[in-house]
Amino acid sequence: MGEAFVQGLLLVLQWKPFAFMLLGIGIGFWVGLLPGIGGATTLALMLPFIYNMQPVEAFAFLLGMHSVVATTGDVTSILFGVPGEATTAAIILDGHAMAKKGEAGRALGAALASSLVGALIGAAALALAIPIVRPLVLTFGSPELFMLAIVGLAFIASLSAQGARGMVRGFLAGGLGLFLAMVGQDPQAGIARYTLDTLYLWQGLDLVPVLVGLFAIPEIIDLVVRGTSIAGDAPVGRISRGALEGIKDVFRHFWLTIRCSLIGTFIGITPGLGGAVAQWMAYGHATQSARTPEERRGFGQGDVRGVIGPGAACNSKEGGALIPTIAFGVPGSTSMAILLGGFFLLGLVPGPDMLTKHLSVTFSLVWTIVLANVITVAACFLLLNRLTALTAVQGHLLVPVILVLVFIGSYTSNSSYADIVVTIVFGAVGYFMVVAGWPRAPLVLGLVLGKIAENYLYISVARYDAGWLTRPVVLALLAIAIGVIFYPAIQAWRARRRHA
Amino acid sequence: MPSRSTSLALALAIMALSAWGVFSALGWPWKAKLFPLVIGIPLFCLATAEALWVIFGKQDAAAASDFKLSEGLERNVVLRRTALAAAWMIGFFALIVLVGFPIAVPVLVFVYLKVQGKEGWLFTGVFTAAVWAFFYGLFDLLLHLHFPEGWLLSWFG
Repeated sequence: MGEAFVQGLLLVLQWKPFAFMLLGIGIGFWVGLLPGIGGATTLALMLPFIYNMQPVEAFAFLLGMHSVVATTGDVTSILFGVPGEATTAAIILDGHAMAKKGEAGRALGAALASSLVGALIGAAALALAIPIVRPLVLTFGSPELFMLAIVGLAFIASLSAQGARGMVRGFLAGGLGLFLAMVGQDPQAGIARYTLDTLYLWQGLDLVPVLVGLFAIPEIIDLVVRGTSIAGDAPVGRISRGALEGIKDVFRHFWLTIRCSLIGTFIGITPGLGGAVAQWMAYGHATQSARTPEERRGFGQGDVRGVIGPGAACNSKEGGALIPTIAFGVPGSTSMAILLGGFFLLGLVPGPDMLTKHLSVTFSLVWTIVLANVITVAACFLLLNRLTALTAVQGHLLVPVILVLVFIGSYTSNSSYADIVVTIVFGAVGYFMVVAGWPRAPLVLGLVLGKIAENYLYISVARYDAGWLTRPVVLALLAIAIGVIFYPAIQAWRARRRHA
Repeated sequence: MPSRSTSLALALAIMALSAWGVFSALGWPWKAKLFPLVIGIPLFCLATAEALWVIFGKQDAAAASDFKLSEGLERNVVLRRTALAAAWMIGFFALIVLVGFPIAVPVLVFVYLKVQGKEGWLFTGVFTAAVWAFFYGLFDLLLHLHFPEGWLLSWFG
């Protein structure tokens, strides 16, 4: 085992795999920065190029590219309030708020440092967890996976909970997301649901145009209304010092970073939930760390913990997601499904062979994640001054460029004008939600989880009738969901008692 | 401060949407209607609660932990500029449909910088050329993404 571990590192450090990894990192760096152009799409576009590569070279290239997309996606999310990736939307809430206060450097420092810690933890989890996680994952049936989706939604709805009213709005947004996820052909009976008699909606609402509209359009409108730069009149400040402060923040909240990394890893391991869920779960957990209602109100307005949580979870999930992909051939996300295709293209069969015959190749994946993230974070820190200076650029220069990227990013998801219509419609929805003070995060999570949750609910009811509700893990997850919902009320009650 | 009327409009829209969703689902086989009913009915109830809260509630709800729009500008200015931003977006979309991305992108950047930004001709020209080169280099040359030429160009061959 130890020998294979070292051999894995030596394999990646050979000049050809290392060069391919650098090429992958270069592509992933820019793909992450560009809004809407997803890591999964690029992974699929690059798949045909690996035919003539050795397995180690191919995975250094693909995984090197994929594992840095979320890191640089954070940069776009923080600086422009536009999700660089679907998996980096949660970091906008506090990261972009910090950028607007002139603390872009600090936010970026915190995001990059937490990303690195998260990636290292995810890679370590991949190296250590396969023998431990296998029995746990296998005990999770459809009822447990459905409840896990509900727990995720409860987490997010509760983060918007300032009182019962806030909770209602959180669940309303989450419910709306679940409802919108039903648009398209129903997976069980093949009925076209809520498609408005259009062919485009048969495949359901694509996440990218919805996300880009929901988050980017209100930001663009605000930029036009203000007529200033993103940072406005706030001083951008000395970035290097700000970034250092962000790194210190990660170590100040080190246990939060670790916990959110573990959340990301666990979500990554669980098939079907994916990175978009991991970041929101981690954000929800970060808000739960607020001790008082006043502290909680600071989230969404530039609390660095709201940056650290999603930043750590986003990158740790990659290592976690590789565990079921390599060990059981069960991809945890779209990207992993594409990567699985890469395994087959190269003649590798995921499963026991990857843990015995090709163990050194498996460990080379661990090392690729580690090295790719270290190199990317170092490159980002070197370019930080240039990247952060973008927030001081006047709005009228940024608006057309962001608008072009938003519309192209949206269009490329299905190569249809309808994608842009969806972006505009959800841009309006997002804008009105912001005006009304409603949270957008639960809507996104509902949309992400909707299809998975429906599938698991259907299988649970078909297989167990109402009996699925009495399964021990389901009951435990239900208790967690209830606890998450009532935790803010208990916190407020305890605070009142302390003051009395 | 969050807008009560917008909140009420959103709640009413969700009420209508969920009622339509539940009503449509009633005619489907149970496999297809299970989830719409499980989600649609509570959604309708929650939306009704929110609407009643807005109408009869005395206290405003606190804004969510989310992005906040900038404050401090006059309401008229905000409304006018918001309408302007919406017009730019819809105009850009119309341009894309009519002439395609390769022409719409430089036209938007050029016109926006001249009209909205009031930039000089030289700067506007150079900036537009740079954005177009980036667009063409990345999406066409490197990623080989196909962009249709637009309805107008198709009609005129």
